[in-house]
Amino acid sequence: MAGEASARLSAPAYFISVLLLTLAGFGAAMLARPAFGHAVLQWARLEPVPRALPGSFYTARVAPLFQDRCVGCHGETRQKAGLRLDSFAEVMLGSRHGAVVRPGDAKHSELFTRISLPPSDDKAMPPSGKTPLTDDEVTVVRLWIAHGASPATAAIKGAPKLVKPVTIPELDLARAAKQRAPLAAAVQQVQQRLPGVVDYQSRSSAGLEVDASLMGARFGDADLAMLKPLAMQIVQADFSGTSVTDSSASALAAMTGLERLRVANTKISDTTIQALAPLKKLRSLSVTGTKVTGAGLTSLRQKGVAIYADADVH
Amino acid sequence: MSIETANDKTVLVWDLPTRLFHWCVVALVFVSWLSADQGWMTIHLASGLILLALLLFRLGWGLFGSTTARFSNFLHPPRRVLGYLKSLKDGDRLLYAGHNPAGGLMVMAMILVLLGQALTGLFANDGLKFNGPLALLIPSEASDSITSIHRLIFDAILLLIWCHVVAVGFYLLVKRDNLVLPMLTGRKPHSHLPQGVELAFTRLIIALLLFFLSAGIAAWIMIEGASLP
Amino acid sequence: MTEPNDTGQYLELLRRQAQTRRQFVGLGAGGLGAFFLNDAFAKTAPAGGLNFARDPSTPLSVLPPQFPAKAKRVIYLHMGGAPSQLELFDHKPQLARFNGHDCPESFLKGKRFAFITGIPKMLGPQFPFHQTGRNGTWISDRLPHLERLIDDLCIIKSMKTDQFNHAPAQLLVQTGDQRTGHASLGSWVTYGLGTENQNLPGFIVLISNGGTTANAGKPLWGSGFLPSVYQGVPCRSAGEPVLYLQNPKGVSRAERREVLDTVDEINRQTYREFGNPETVTRIAQYEMAFRMQLEASDAMDIHREPQAVLDRYGAQPGKTSYANNCLVARRLAERGVRFIQLYHWGWDSHGSPTDEGLNVGLVKQCKETDQPTAALLADLKARGLLEDTLVVWGGEFGRTPMQDNHAGGEETKFIGRDHHPSAFTIWMAGGGVKAGMNYGQTDDMGYEIVKDPVEVRDQHATMLYLLGFDYRTFSYTYQGLDQKLTGVKPARIVSEILA
Repeated sequence: MAGEASARLSAPAYFISVLLLTLAGFGAAMLARPAFGHAVLQWARLEPVPRALPGSFYTARVAPLFQDRCVGCHGETRQKAGLRLDSFAEVMLGSRHGAVVRPGDAKHSELFTRISLPPSDDKAMPPSGKTPLTDDEVTVVRLWIAHGASPATAAIKGAPKLVKPVTIPELDLARAAKQRAPLAAAVQQVQQRLPGVVDYQSRSSAGLEVDASLMGARFGDADLAMLKPLAMQIVQADFSGTSVTDSSASALAAMTGLERLRVANTKISDTTIQALAPLKKLRSLSVTGTKVTGAGLTSLRQKGVAIYADADVH
Repeated sequence: MSIETANDKTVLVWDLPTRLFHWCVVALVFVSWLSADQGWMTIHLASGLILLALLLFRLGWGLFGSTTARFSNFLHPPRRVLGYLKSLKDGDRLLYAGHNPAGGLMVMAMILVLLGQALTGLFANDGLKFNGPLALLIPSEASDSITSIHRLIFDAILLLIWCHVVAVGFYLLVKRDNLVLPMLTGRKPHSHLPQGVELAFTRLIIALLLFFLSAGIAAWIMIEGASLP
Repeated sequence: MTEPNDTGQYLELLRRQAQTRRQFVGLGAGGLGAFFLNDAFAKTAPAGGLNFARDPSTPLSVLPPQFPAKAKRVIYLHMGGAPSQLELFDHKPQLARFNGHDCPESFLKGKRFAFITGIPKMLGPQFPFHQTGRNGTWISDRLPHLERLIDDLCIIKSMKTDQFNHAPAQLLVQTGDQRTGHASLGSWVTYGLGTENQNLPGFIVLISNGGTTANAGKPLWGSGFLPSVYQGVPCRSAGEPVLYLQNPKGVSRAERREVLDTVDEINRQTYREFGNPETVTRIAQYEMAFRMQLEASDAMDIHREPQAVLDRYGAQPGKTSYANNCLVARRLAERGVRFIQLYHWGWDSHGSPTDEGLNVGLVKQCKETDQPTAALLADLKARGLLEDTLVVWGGEFGRTPMQDNHAGGEETKFIGRDHHPSAFTIWMAGGGVKAGMNYGQTDDMGYEIVKDPVEVRDQHATMLYLLGFDYRTFSYTYQGLDQKLTGVKPARIVSEILA
């Protein structure tokens, strides 16, 4: 640009000024919108992207909650209010209006206040039409923020227990058949000799349930002895009202997988109860109407087994 | 040829509709951004629809308007654009009555991008209770995708505005050629125009008709949208 | 017809006969008694992977559930007429403050009521509430006996239904659909699991305070589209346990046996000729009735209980009462009956007639049911049976926070509430349900649910889960649809109440 008036700005000078002004503008925007600021710094690798630790309270309780209830509108596909909740870093970046989490101060954290609003409120989150968070879920968020909104803290005392939604096990009849195979023949034999007494616990398991109570006095020690080959697979057994006696103690003790035992209204005494000590899986025992004493039951009670006995037995 | 001479008579270059269009768009883009940012969705809807009407008008005016407003006047093949930019660099730039080729590209890009913004806006939603006029015609996932595009296009608009302002600044501060004034008054100094140029100006009544037509289309879209369940 | 002397040939003959008949009807297209072909037992195509085919002569034989169950049997205490949750379990002090005020329009707009018209007045709780138990559960003073067992109950205050009249609402609760023709809960359960004791029906119904024709009547325990052998058998706790079970006067048991043997032979011949498995089932039912003559009388006979036990329940042998029915229910549970359904009618506290009102009728209902219900629960618990017995108590909908003005509009002396489908309370105990829990919440007026709504089908899905079934795949093909207890709308298992 030769020979022009000196008041004119040179092109390079102009473009450098533009560059500087633009950068300044960016800087101002980053200050005015902290979320934008952090996003830029993290993108430029000038700031580490905060990540939550795998075993942390955030990962175990908060993140799944967000994923389930919030990420539909605050995640990769949609970012309402410019807020993403699909990673720890994004949560801390906040929305286009600023941070939504103030570590240590749940009451002033927009994230918390919004989810604590009554469902009818216009600003309530999730918005009306969607199921509100349960009390437990709100408590989890509150506790997490109150304890510093950390990506690392492992456990928070007082947090409500995690209720796992029920998953129904896949029906795999082939696998069940395989598991039953070793004792299948023995089971069939016993079923023929004692009809209606032994059956599988469910279609998908190999565990056995024994119920001789309907046979009453006709079922005795000799019949119980027939169960010997199946002992380890028996999960529940009910001999209430039968004529089994302490002679069956060892047979019962052999049922190492036993979870529930009923021997109400039989001639069973403390002898048999002693023999049950090694049954590690036992969690329920019914001895109403027997001569079993409180002393005999103490050790089982101490192990946390639910005992059902006559009122006068302590 | 020297550019600046005293007693340079000014010539009308930009007609009133074009100028009005330009500055209304500036104002409406700002209002649209502010209202979206603050959540004033009714205002956002209104400014978006008026923008749509104006853009439709501009498309029509680009076909039937005054010489400098017509697309044929400032849309040039890439060769011409490069040639112009070279002349700019060399300090001996070519003169154009209306938009120069580079400016013309800018104008076209801006109009198209703004049009895209307005059209995507029709189908967008704000995630809460507000839906664009035609958002209910399409599945909600589609509306959400279009909303994302609507947001992306805004970034493109910001970029274009930046380019535009930098360019105008360049002309003002480096080339000492004020382009803002002509867009306000409509008049450029005679010396800034190429020799022998003849400018025709379409009657205002045509502009009014075109505008009403565009406004009618926008209104029709609004009414159609309002009648959706 | 001479019998072939080879079993294989015999079976082949049966098969050929059956096949020919099927083909014949298939070609004949329509109207030729095609419904005889509903041979559920011959069906081997599994529904959801499970096969419920059984030997037709033992239709109630035990089948294991799909996965290990928490509950082995169910005792369902249905309080017919809909008990008022606002007078029993749902404590609403705010409602008390609005007693006598006009009902706000927002409660009335767009809603249908059974009897309320115009603008009714709000009605505060009629009995005082207090807190009890480990969790400080709120309960009224009407259930002093049940209160002592509060830590064993899981109270669900957020039940909801879409039926506002008794019969369809009862059908919805008991059969999963508000129309007749669907299988009842007990039928589904006995179809899926059979019953332990083959000498007693698998599904027994005990009714007190009203006849069988109250509201929805017999379809409540009907088998619907399931084979009829799974229907509920109404038994009585006074007099003959099952009507017409005993032999006619002058016919001894031995003579009855002879008659049955002959009828048996005729039925078997019919089966050989026509191959209809229903015939075999009929044979089985006669046999079961014969066995029942002894065992049912024994099971239902509460005379045999010690006086102390009778006093705990408030039972009086020889009368028909809810107390007697509860004691019978415990005896039946001990004897391997799968599904025991009790109905106690009379909870429909509209306030008119006056003795159905909250201050009279409800008091009586509570007096009649509180002690026996508590005694039943305590008894089951003491015997260790509560662990695997699912006990459910509830009605078919709730009652409105507004006073039932019975087409009035001015001051009315009726102290009653109208039907309220939007929120009601049930409780469950035992059988894999969390003990000592309150689930769900209604708003300050007790009108709408604000937290954790539970639809009737959700309750059913949860019950089926506890019994070891996947409500989504536990189905029966009928009229081209895999019919499910939970119906066609999506249901959920209420995980939060599972132990």
